[in-house]
Amino acid sequence: MLYSCGVVYTLPTVTSSCRQFHTPLFKKHPIQLLPLKTLKPKFTCSASIDDAGPPRNWEKWLPKNLFSAEKVLKSISEATSSPICQFISSPITFLHTVDPRIKLAWLVVLVVLPARSHILMRFGLVAYLSLLSILILPRHVWMDQLGRVSLLSGILFIMLGLGADGAPPVVQLRTPPPSMMGLPSLPASLEGYSYIIMKLGPLQLTRKGLSVASTSASLTFSIFQSASLCLSTTTPEQLAFALQWYMRPLAYIGVPVAEVILTLLLSLRFINLVFDEVRVVALGIVSRRIYWEKFTALETIEVFFTYIRRIFNNIFSHAEQISQAMNVRGFRGDSNTHNIYFSSLSSNSMANILSIMCLVCLVGAAAVSDCFV
Amino acid sequence: MNITASLGTSAPHLPPLHSSPPLRPNGTESFAIEIQNVKFSVKTKQKKLVHILEDCSIQIPSGQFWMLLGPNGCGKSTLLKILAGLLSPTDGFMYVKKPKSFVFQNPDHQVVMPTVEADVAFGLGKYRFTPEQIRCRVAKALDAVGMYEYLRRPVQTLSGGQKQRVAIAGALAEECKVLLLDELTTFLDETDQIGVIKAVKKSLASSDDVTALWVTHRLEELEYADGAVYMEDGRVIMHGDASTIMEFIEDRKNSYIRKINA
Ligand SMILES: Nc1ncnc2c1ncn2[C@@H]1O[C@H](COP(=O)(O)OP(=O)(O)OP(=O)(O)O)[C@@H](O)[C@H]1O
Ligand SMILES: [Mg+2]
Repeated sequence: MLYSCGVVYTLPTVTSSCRQFHTPLFKKHPIQLLPLKTLKPKFTCSASIDDAGPPRNWEKWLPKNLFSAEKVLKSISEATSSPICQFISSPITFLHTVDPRIKLAWLVVLVVLPARSHILMRFGLVAYLSLLSILILPRHVWMDQLGRVSLLSGILFIMLGLGADGAPPVVQLRTPPPSMMGLPSLPASLEGYSYIIMKLGPLQLTRKGLSVASTSASLTFSIFQSASLCLSTTTPEQLAFALQWYMRPLAYIGVPVAEVILTLLLSLRFINLVFDEVRVVALGIVSRRIYWEKFTALETIEVFFTYIRRIFNNIFSHAEQISQAMNVRGFRGDSNTHNIYFSSLSSNSMANILSIMCLVCLVGAAAVSDCFV
Repeated sequence: MNITASLGTSAPHLPPLHSSPPLRPNGTESFAIEIQNVKFSVKTKQKKLVHILEDCSIQIPSGQFWMLLGPNGCGKSTLLKILAGLLSPTDGFMYVKKPKSFVFQNPDHQVVMPTVEADVAFGLGKYRFTPEQIRCRVAKALDAVGMYEYLRRPVQTLSGGQKQRVAIAGALAEECKVLLLDELTTFLDETDQIGVIKAVKKSLASSDDVTALWVTHRLEELEYADGAVYMEDGRVIMHGDASTIMEFIEDRKNSYIRKINA
């Protein structure tokens, strides 16, 4: 109480004394500064053809602000901190309770199958994956994921389907077409087989195009969607555990499995720190309100180099501190003797059996469909 | 390795001191942390010797919750790092009970695993515990800091204060004899901060013979402490029970204000 009174009392005297000192200075300023400003050399450049009128303002036709430094930094600083696929912890679903090793096996199968099975099988897989996502994930998550993945694979499908056989066959074939070799051309199929399925002006959808397009589109879809489905129902530690289990035989031939797994986990944590750092430093530059218009291109590039240097400095200091922290927390540099606790989430044996059975059925169906075609 | 000899003569380059109790000069068992005339200096790039700590002496009885106060840059973090064994003092005597754990000022440096529960359990990796034991300890530690429902959350989705609680839980899970906590309240808001202090005090009370040293800027936290140390410019100025330190700092503040006004 006492000192607060004192502060209030002294404040006016301090400020008034400041004003006394400053008033002469303020008066001097304009007198000193004006001549300096007027003396500043000024160059103007102009070019015109004699007989033409005033030069046309062609500059405004040039694309401007296509790549402005401020825009770039601003968009970096506004990016969300969380990466796209993240573990969803709150509603524990059926997939949460499946053993991570089975999920990893599913992932591998879903990556391999679309490439080597019948076209119906491929579309069946896509439908199955979307149905599973819709059933398991919260609404806004699956809308987001499925929307993005189907856009990507849709574009792929159209481009490849129409583009695979779009070029005339003369360019593609290594052997000359039959007409040039004097051979009679092959008779048309009797059963209504036609190589070209659909024609859209100059573009054509052929059987080859359909096969290439459906393979690559459904492969893209199943890789992305199964990965995001897996990541949103499995913690990184569980995945690391499954990976360690599968990699265990490799330890006999001298692969440092424990070290690989620990490095994987640490880098998964570290990636987020890097993203944060990139964001925070960009925010630091944006919040300085630099007049980018007054910068030359070289100066802008310099600012960017400062930005990148700053990020690297910060990341290295983070890494140093983290290694210190790991030491303090009892890590002695040997990942074989330092046990990692993977997860307290125990798997449900019913869910495990069910998912293994589904996996076996799927692989069997794929093999059968392969035989019949 | 003749540690005894180097300790007795207080040689300029002491090995990292984790001495055993019989070596202590006035060896009373009741102190969990005891340092005498500890000095610390670093060489700058211009080959100049900078003294960061000078003649620091502290005695903290075991089983108590103490605070370390002082203005910015007075050497609190440095002293704590010396106590934790991260830095070795240039000179002086030091004893800290073992096992001890240290929580960093910035939780992003301390939290090393992607998921909360795995991180809290990280410090337990050096012991041979069964998964069931680890699960139990993790649950207890997270419960103590009020974060049990965040068990399986990805760490990067937590706020700064929540990360700090996770870092504390990691230290608590090890059930150490000495807890060294560096300025945890920087990321916490007013209510969060008192909550964390209470959580630490609660876990001290529940397990016997645990000592904590808490670095802070905020005077209002002093009422929760059993004792406090006040530092300035790398020296320990005052050392005693919380109310004495509180009076001392208030006194200094008043005299400082009087000096300005005069
Ligand atoms: N490696 C170093 N080289 C040079 N000076 C250092 C080094 N480490 C610390 N210092 C100096 O030592 C002093 C004490 O630093 P320390 O981090 O211990 O302060 P602090 O009391 O923890 O401050 P704060 O309250 O801001 O956390 C500071 O003046 C700092 O500049
Ligand atoms: Mg500090």
